[in-house]
Amino acid sequence: MTTPGEPPPERHRPSAYRPISAHQDGVAPEAGMIGQAELAALAAGSRLFATGAAESSFHLTLDWADAVLDKPVRLVAATDLPPDTLCVAITLVGSTTALGEQLPGGGEPTRAVQALERRLGTRSGAIVALNLAAENALLPLITAATLGLPLVDGDGTGRVFPLVEQTTYTLGGISSAPLALAGPGEELVLIETAPDRVEETLRPVVLSFGGWGLAACYPMRAADLARTLVPGTVSMLMAAGRPGALRSAAAPYGVRRLCAGRIVAVEGSSGHGADLAMPSVPSSIVVEESEGLGRLVRLEAHNEIVLALADGAAVAMAPDQICMISSADGMVVDVDKAEPGMAIEVLVLPAAPAWHTDEGRALGGLRAFGVPL
Amino acid sequence: MILGLAPGRLTTTVVAVRDGVPVSSWSLPGTADTAFPATGALDALAEALPDSSRAIPASGFSALGAERPGEIRAACVAMDLDAEPTAPVAAIRVGGPCPPALAPHVPHPQGAATIVRGGHSLTGRPLAALDTDAVRAFAAGCGLVDFAVTATGSPALADHELAVADLVAAEVPEARITLSYEFGRPGLREREREAILNASLRPQAERLADLVASWLPGIPVYFARTGGGLVSAHYFRRYPLVCARGATAAALRGGQPEADRPDAAVAFGATLAVPVAEVERIVQARGRAELDRELGDARDEALTRVVSAGAVPGSARIEEMTVNPVSYLPDGLYRVRVTAAGSTP
Repeated sequence: MTTPGEPPPERHRPSAYRPISAHQDGVAPEAGMIGQAELAALAAGSRLFATGAAESSFHLTLDWADAVLDKPVRLVAATDLPPDTLCVAITLVGSTTALGEQLPGGGEPTRAVQALERRLGTRSGAIVALNLAAENALLPLITAATLGLPLVDGDGTGRVFPLVEQTTYTLGGISSAPLALAGPGEELVLIETAPDRVEETLRPVVLSFGGWGLAACYPMRAADLARTLVPGTVSMLMAAGRPGALRSAAAPYGVRRLCAGRIVAVEGSSGHGADLAMPSVPSSIVVEESEGLGRLVRLEAHNEIVLALADGAAVAMAPDQICMISSADGMVVDVDKAEPGMAIEVLVLPAAPAWHTDEGRALGGLRAFGVPL
Repeated sequence: MILGLAPGRLTTTVVAVRDGVPVSSWSLPGTADTAFPATGALDALAEALPDSSRAIPASGFSALGAERPGEIRAACVAMDLDAEPTAPVAAIRVGGPCPPALAPHVPHPQGAATIVRGGHSLTGRPLAALDTDAVRAFAAGCGLVDFAVTATGSPALADHELAVADLVAAEVPEARITLSYEFGRPGLREREREAILNASLRPQAERLADLVASWLPGIPVYFARTGGGLVSAHYFRRYPLVCARGATAAALRGGQPEADRPDAAVAFGATLAVPVAEVERIVQARGRAELDRELGDARDEALTRVVSAGAVPGSARIEEMTVNPVSYLPDGLYRVRVTAAGSTP
């Protein structure tokens, strides 16, 4: 772990990476632009199945994005970038509750990306999202707008996982490190370690920042990004977020309705003793089905809901996404906001095909959450 | 007997309720004073009621349907405050610098805002020492008396909000100070917005509470809460924002038996409610024993608060308690929400 210095001069760039500015003509002419007018649709689409978002942090991120989008951001396909373009993934690491409480200073995106550039000795040419859930859809856009770079149309999960390494980029052999983390108190830390040690190294640092940081990670060539990302998800969410669009438009692999009912119990836990460096502790949510068989559906959560049991039988599990939708307002109910009495629907979104391989299940399946089923 | 009062822009209604049943009511024309609708309505009401009804309990109260002096146990006022006049507020945020789009927003043109260094993380660790000089300089120089203080991390640790309150009080002895942690909710900007709005309503809340108290001397006065429940006049003076939609909430409660008279429904609905108080905190606990202790503290705080909100002490009870682990933070942080309720005298 090092604390980076100033950016390298232009002459230190290795030849492997070339800046996008040298290849502007290579950007697909049909590529869209995201400005203040398009922001509302992206923001709405990004919340349709997003868990872990907090009202406060989402709205501040949205206000922040609106303020920096006076100059629109170009949305490009990874395949339309010159293959050697350095692409950097951006994500919030830590708690959205902490982000809503400890506001960003505004310089986090620039500091994180520039720290990575200093380490690699080259300029980045495009920004991409790690995932596109709520704040995590807007932070890459803010970063791209702040740095004047294009945003790649796609992301590294097709859904949300709690750990930085749980991405299709990892499945494609790309390391999340070196990873630069910028905090709201002007902190800046560069992490270099083995790919499977990044999360463990990162979490104490995030805590020392106050609970959240903005990470610039998975530095990779555009050709590698094109090979590993879930493509087209930014434009898909923008389409799904337009007025009148169906919620299912934000689920590229379909949606299944598990049940509708009322939460009858929320049970916390002080930990199940598993040897896991997982943020937060597990909890369980019990839903009494209000129709059909009237089953008791138990949702086991560990930051996200990872397993659904209906009258004791497993009916949905990670890597598929399980989320609760409030019957009152149609919004996603976060695990830490679930309360007895809430009327909800439980939906299941199949994960991208890459997650249903042996490698995908090992990285994002139940065992990865400490549930040995 | 309990009186329900619904001061409105068009009509003002008083309903006398015995054992949950309305026994008499008045509806008076509202005030034309649109700048001070509730104040004007209460003034008009006091003028219009019979003299014998104003001196309680010394004289009879038959005009209100009371069978004996002192029968009136409480008066419950329900109003929406969105049309009430607001005062300019001095907003102090304790935290780090932020983009202009996220800076404190004071709606009143004569309001003022500043950000001073300090605050805590949600795990209670200090982010920076409180910049006491900056607090003193702002308080002394802003020329305002209604302050709203919001510190980063105050749902977990409110020390810096309390320290700022001390500094402001020393500089501006007549200051009315709203601290955001008392509204509880995590989310600095939302809490700040609530604190600023509450501070802006306090001068008018004091006028309204004084007015009702002068008309009903010796009778405990309550105000209807947004979302249901009541708070005492004393509590209302400090936290008027919790009553911002009191009439709307009371109308939902009293709507069925008084469906054909909307104002009477509001007044009646207010009499059916009971004192309620809420506490929302972020607590840190490693293991069950620590969590139980924190939950006990949150329960005690909610019970104390509901007594402060006018509940008879022996009647205070916990209505609901929710505990959820906060996602993506590893240090055993929990969001705790407690609702306490009690009875009016």
